[in-house]
Amino acid sequence: MPNKAKGYLSLVLHAHLPFIRHPEYEDFLEEDWFFEAMCETYIPLLDVYERLTAEGTDFRVTMSITPPLCNMMADELLRERFRRYYGLRLELAEKETVRTRNTKFYDVAKMYETKFRRIRELYEDYYHGKVLEGFKKFQDLGKLEIITCGATHGFLPLELRKEAVHAQIKLAADDYRKHFGRGPRGIWLAECAYNPGDDVFLKAQGIRYFFLETHGIIYGSPRPRYGVYAPVYCPSGVAAFGRDMESAQQVWSAETGYPGDHRYREFYRDLGYDLEYDYVKPYLHQDGVRRNIGMKYCRITGKVGLHEKAPYDPAEARELAASHAGNFMFNRERQIEHLNHFLGKKPVVVSMYDAELYGHWWYEGTDFLEFLFKKIHHDQKTIKMVTPSEYLGLHPDNQVVQPSMSTWGDKGYNEVWLNGTNDWMYRHLHKQVERMVELANKFPNADGTLKRALNQCAREVVLGMSSDWAFLMTVGTAKSYSTKRFVAHTHRFNGLYEQIMGGRLEEGYLKDIEWRDNIFPELNYRVFSTEETEKAAKN
Amino acid sequence: MTSSGQIKTGNTAPEAEHKALPQGYGTTEAALLPRDPNWMFLYWEITENSLKNLRRQRGEDVLQKGRQVIRVYDASGSADGGAPSEYFDIPVMFEAGSWYVNVREGGRAYRCEVGLSMPDGSFLGLVRTNTVKLPGGRVSDVTDENWMAVTADFDKLLQLSGVEYIGKGSGEVAKSLAQRWEMLRAVFSRASSWGVSSMSSQAPRKPEQEKKFWLVADCELILYGATEPDAFVTVSGRRVNLNPDGTFSMRFALPDGAADLPVKALSRDETGSRGIDIKVTRATLNDAE
Repeated sequence: MPNKAKGYLSLVLHAHLPFIRHPEYEDFLEEDWFFEAMCETYIPLLDVYERLTAEGTDFRVTMSITPPLCNMMADELLRERFRRYYGLRLELAEKETVRTRNTKFYDVAKMYETKFRRIRELYEDYYHGKVLEGFKKFQDLGKLEIITCGATHGFLPLELRKEAVHAQIKLAADDYRKHFGRGPRGIWLAECAYNPGDDVFLKAQGIRYFFLETHGIIYGSPRPRYGVYAPVYCPSGVAAFGRDMESAQQVWSAETGYPGDHRYREFYRDLGYDLEYDYVKPYLHQDGVRRNIGMKYCRITGKVGLHEKAPYDPAEARELAASHAGNFMFNRERQIEHLNHFLGKKPVVVSMYDAELYGHWWYEGTDFLEFLFKKIHHDQKTIKMVTPSEYLGLHPDNQVVQPSMSTWGDKGYNEVWLNGTNDWMYRHLHKQVERMVELANKFPNADGTLKRALNQCAREVVLGMSSDWAFLMTVGTAKSYSTKRFVAHTHRFNGLYEQIMGGRLEEGYLKDIEWRDNIFPELNYRVFSTEETEKAAKN
Repeated sequence: MTSSGQIKTGNTAPEAEHKALPQGYGTTEAALLPRDPNWMFLYWEITENSLKNLRRQRGEDVLQKGRQVIRVYDASGSADGGAPSEYFDIPVMFEAGSWYVNVREGGRAYRCEVGLSMPDGSFLGLVRTNTVKLPGGRVSDVTDENWMAVTADFDKLLQLSGVEYIGKGSGEVAKSLAQRWEMLRAVFSRASSWGVSSMSSQAPRKPEQEKKFWLVADCELILYGATEPDAFVTVSGRRVNLNPDGTFSMRFALPDGAADLPVKALSRDETGSRGIDIKVTRATLNDAE
C-alpha cells in the first residue's frame, strides 16, 4: 500500500517499576505495586495486542520494559507470589458475583470476575508464567518495539563518573539481549534525563535513538529546523525524538483530559475499605490493615464525597473510551494536517506516556488504546503509525543538533532528583561508584568467591542508583521505604567493599546479600572498569 | 512508574533514617552537580587533617583571620587550559558540608573551590570541585545554514512545539493535576503519572533584547543565631550544624511570597528547648513588567 499519509504518530509507553523483591518477608506491601501493574496494565496491554493481532488490525507501539521490570517479570519468587495475588482476587470476584446478584453492583462484579479469569488464562495458558515471552512475540511480529532503559533507571546527569553511565547502559543492553534475543534499537533514558555527551555510550551498545522532553530539542543548538516534529541527530549520530506537548496535554489536561470524565471508574472507592471486615480480611495483607485491593465498584460521579459515588457501569465506560479514542484521533489528524502544511514535510508526532497511566491510573485507558489502534487502522488515511526505527528507516536524513540538558520532571531539569529531601544521597552514591571503579580496575581477572563478591558490589551500586528513591523522597510517598532501600544498598556495598579490601570475605554475609538482591544474575563487575568505559566512549 | 512528581514546598527535609550513613568518608573532596540553568548543588568534606595542615603552614589563627567562602568560577573560557577569568564568593561555614549555588547566567560552565578569603586579598583553597556545564534554558542563538527557517516561522514552530504549554499553560494543568495528585498520595502509596512538565518558576534572566539602560536587582535571606554549642538545632525541620562557639548561619533563596522559618533548639540532655519562629514576606514590584 503506498504511503499517502500526511504524517506519523509514534505512541511510546514507558513501563517501569523499581526492583522490589523481598524474599526475607513472606508478605511485603510494596511488592503489590508490581502485582497491581501486572493486573491492570501489563497483562491487559498484552490482551489488547492479542485481540488486535487475531482480528488482523495492524498497529504500532513502542514500549520500554525497563531492566528492573524485566527482572521482576522473569523472577521465580515474584511469579509465584503473583499467582497467589491474582488467585485471591479471582476467588473474591467469584464470591462477589454471588453476593451482588440482583443489586446495582452486579455488572461491575461480573466484570472483575471476567477480568481475573482472563488474566489467569493469559498468564498460565498463553505465556506459562513468562509474560516477557508475550511481549517478545509482538516484537517479533513487528507490531511492538520494545526499548530498554538504564539498568536500574539510574539518573545519569547527576553521575560524576562516566563509568557509571557506561555501566547503566551496558548492563541494560546485555539484559535486553538475554530476554529478547537481539540488541535494543532504542532506549528510554530514565526520567528523559539527558546529559549532553552521554549519547556516545548509547551508540557503543548499538542503540539508535532515545527520547527527550520538548525543551531538550527546542533549546538544542543549532536551532532545530522542525522543532519536535522531526528527530535530530546528536553529534554522535544517535537520534533524539522530542515529546509532543499537545497530545500529552490532551490525555492529562484538567478541562479536556479524558481520565477525569465522571463516567469512568473512581480510583478512591475501593472494596478493601468498603466490604465487611471479616469477609475482606483474607484478601488483605497479613497485618489485617484495610488497604486498596484494586477492586472498585463506583464511577467518578462528580464533585461529591466518596460515600456519594454512584455505581460503575462497565458498558457505558467502555463506550466512552471509544468516543475519547475517536476524539484523540480526530485531533491528531488535524494536528498532522496542519503541521504537514506548515513544515512542508511529514511530521512525526511522538506521544509519550507512563505505561501505568493506562489501566492502572486510568482504568479504561487500555480500552482507549485498543479503540485508538482500531480506528487509526480502519477509519482514516491521514496518520500512519510508526516506531522510531521505522521512521529513521523512511527518513534517515535529519539535522544534527546538540540537544539541551533536560528531564521530563517538574520544572524541566534536575530539581525533582536534587533538592533538600534527597541531596544527601549523592555523596554516598558517588563514593560507591568511585570505590566500585577502583575495585573493577584493581581486580581485572577475579574468580571464585572474590568474583561473586565483586559482582554483588556492582549489583548494590546499581540498585542504589535507581532514580526512584530520590523521586519518592521528593513527592513524599513511600519516603521511608525509599530511604531505607538506599541506605540498605549503601551499607551492603560498603560492607562488601571493606571485606574485599581487608582480604576477609565472609561467605555467609555474601550469600545472604546475593539471596536478597538477585537482579542481573549474569552481571560482570568489569562493566565498571575504566578501560571498558573508555573503549565504549571511543567506539 | 517514573515521570515527574511535583516539587512540594512543605516537604523539604530528608527522612531521619539517612543518618544511619557515615557523615563523611575521611577524604577532603568536593563535587558540583547541575540542578537547572540557574542553580547548582555543591557538597564537600574537609578533614581535620587538612585543617591541621593549613594551620601548620599558615598559622594557628588562619581560620579566624580568613573568611570561609565558596569561590564560584566561571569556567566557560578555561576548557582550553586558560585560568577562569571571573569569580564570586559566597560566605559559608566549612561545617555546612553542602550548599546550593545560584548563578545569574545559565548555559555556562562553572567550577567551585571551598577555602579562605584572606584580609590581604589572597585565597587559600582547600578543596575544588569538578566543572559543570549548565543548560542554557532558552532557544539557541545558533542557526544552521543548511536547515534554516525564517524567524517568523521559527516562532510559530516554537508555539506548535509546545513552548506555550511549557511556559504558561502547564501551570493550569499542573494545578488541577496537583489536586488529583494529593488524593493519590493520600490513598495509595505510589507516585502518579504527571505527564506535563512546568518550567514556570525559574529565576528571571536579563531581558534577551538588550536595552540601553537596565537594572537587575534581587534579594537573598541570611538567617543567623547562637545557642549552647552542644545543642541540637533545626531550621524548618532541617538539622543545622553549629560552629564551635554555638553560632550558626544559613543562606536561603528568597522568592516572592511568604516563608516560614521555625528555628528550634534542644539542649544536649534534652531537658531544655527553645523556639523562635521567623516569618518573612517578600514582594517585588518591577516597573519594567
